[in-house]
Amino acid sequence: MLYLLIIIVVFKSQSNIDNYVLYATSGLIFWIFFANVTNQSIASIINSSGIIKALNVPTVFFPLSEMISELFNFILTLFVFAIAMHWFGIQYSFNLLTIIPITILFAVFTFGITLIFCSLNVFFRDVGILWTTIQPAIFYLTPIPYPEKVLTDRYPLVVQLNPIYYFIKLEREVIYKGVFPSGELWLQCTVLATGMLCIGYFIFSRLKNQFISSL
Amino acid sequence: MANDALIEFKGVTVAYWQNNMGVFSIKDLITHRKNPFTTKTILHDISFEVKRGECMGVLGRNGSGKSTLLRAIAGVVKPQVGSIHINGSIAPILAIGAGLETELTGYENIELLLSLYGKPRKDVDAIKSIKDFSGLSDDVLRTPTKTYSSGMLARLTFSISVANDSDILIIDEVLAVGDQGFQHKCMDKIYQVKKEGKTILFVSHFPEDVKKLCDTAILLDGGVITHRGGAPEICDLYQKLF
Ligand SMILES: Nc1ncnc2c1ncn2[C@@H]1O[C@H](COP(=O)(O)OP(=O)(O)OP(=O)(O)O)[C@@H](O)[C@H]1O
Ligand SMILES: [Mg+2]
Repeated sequence: MLYLLIIIVVFKSQSNIDNYVLYATSGLIFWIFFANVTNQSIASIINSSGIIKALNVPTVFFPLSEMISELFNFILTLFVFAIAMHWFGIQYSFNLLTIIPITILFAVFTFGITLIFCSLNVFFRDVGILWTTIQPAIFYLTPIPYPEKVLTDRYPLVVQLNPIYYFIKLEREVIYKGVFPSGELWLQCTVLATGMLCIGYFIFSRLKNQFISSL
Repeated sequence: MANDALIEFKGVTVAYWQNNMGVFSIKDLITHRKNPFTTKTILHDISFEVKRGECMGVLGRNGSGKSTLLRAIAGVVKPQVGSIHINGSIAPILAIGAGLETELTGYENIELLLSLYGKPRKDVDAIKSIKDFSGLSDDVLRTPTKTYSSGMLARLTFSISVANDSDILIIDEVLAVGDQGFQHKCMDKIYQVKKEGKTILFVSHFPEDVKKLCDTAILLDGGVITHRGGAPEICDLYQKLF
């Protein structure tokens, strides 16, 4: 958390974005939600091995419960954020309510990734470690604390291929710009979210019956 | 309804993915560059029925697939081929290293398992009855279960499993680690459960226990049921194996 604050302070002095704090923190809270969910649930299956070996419970229950508790935290954060950003230029309007479907889309997307990670982690125990290592890299490759232009000008592919970028962009339309996001952006995010959930669920259900052989 | 089949196995084959190349991380996988998993069939084409209220013993050598069979009954492993029908609820398997989360304390484990049964987490009566039956002190139940001795673990698992009123109780060699007092207590409890008309599946390497407790038994060898019949005959056959 602290180092995130430092980033904000450092970039703030250099960037010429209006309402920089609002710009950066709106992206940050979504990123932190994403990071928390994946980090919390990546070991959820392994950590429940005792129960999985003894009782026929749907294994998806374990990452799902982590997801739901993080979602509750996130909703609280959103409220606090909405109030605090009053001093940093947030525009209160009905457009802000679209944050609800945006959160749902982002949660669905995150859950899809989570399903992949937590099921792979059963068979290859370093998935969690690898993920912690590459996570900062993904963070810096996503235009969260700095303007999009930095990347879009020189390396457009880096942002275009980063699925998280689309959700950050979607959320910024509402929170930062205070406008209703374009249909195209909605479509992109919906496709990403459902696609990721399908891939995640596919991998998870192919592996779930054999979790037991590696637990 | 007294005599219907409670558990029905039809041509069940169970396989595990065996990872015998030591590839347990992505790092290994990248250097190895081959699929490290081979499918290992543990149970071959198993068919049998267990009636309601029957108490069935499962005997066999080490590695013959007894635990795997119990896991299949509990639904913890899924069959590759064949079908399994269960007409009742199942208590968590009683086995060493199953049922408890080692990082959680005794109380947390109790609450977790209660909530998985759809009971209220803080069901004070249930918690108290589990605690009383296990004979573990408050102090012990407040420490993580990874610090427990194997007998203490067995006590706690047993107490939790019998505390809920499910139709099927599955016992996989856990009683052997309890001390004399607890073994008697467990046996009494098991008889009581049996009298209530519940179904018990019992794995043990002590044919005497199986003879005393069970009505019928099966003998497993190399993942197939070689014999199925009354408990005394199967126990004799089992003893002839060695
Ligand atoms: N995760 C696994 N991966 C691969 N093979 C396994 C796995 N678990 C068990 N097996 C194999 O399945 C076979 C049966 O194991 P199981 O635990 O069912 O034996 P068992 O009859 O309960 O033996 P015991 O009397 O020692 O308890 C063994 O040959 C074992 O090697
Ligand atoms: Mg066994």
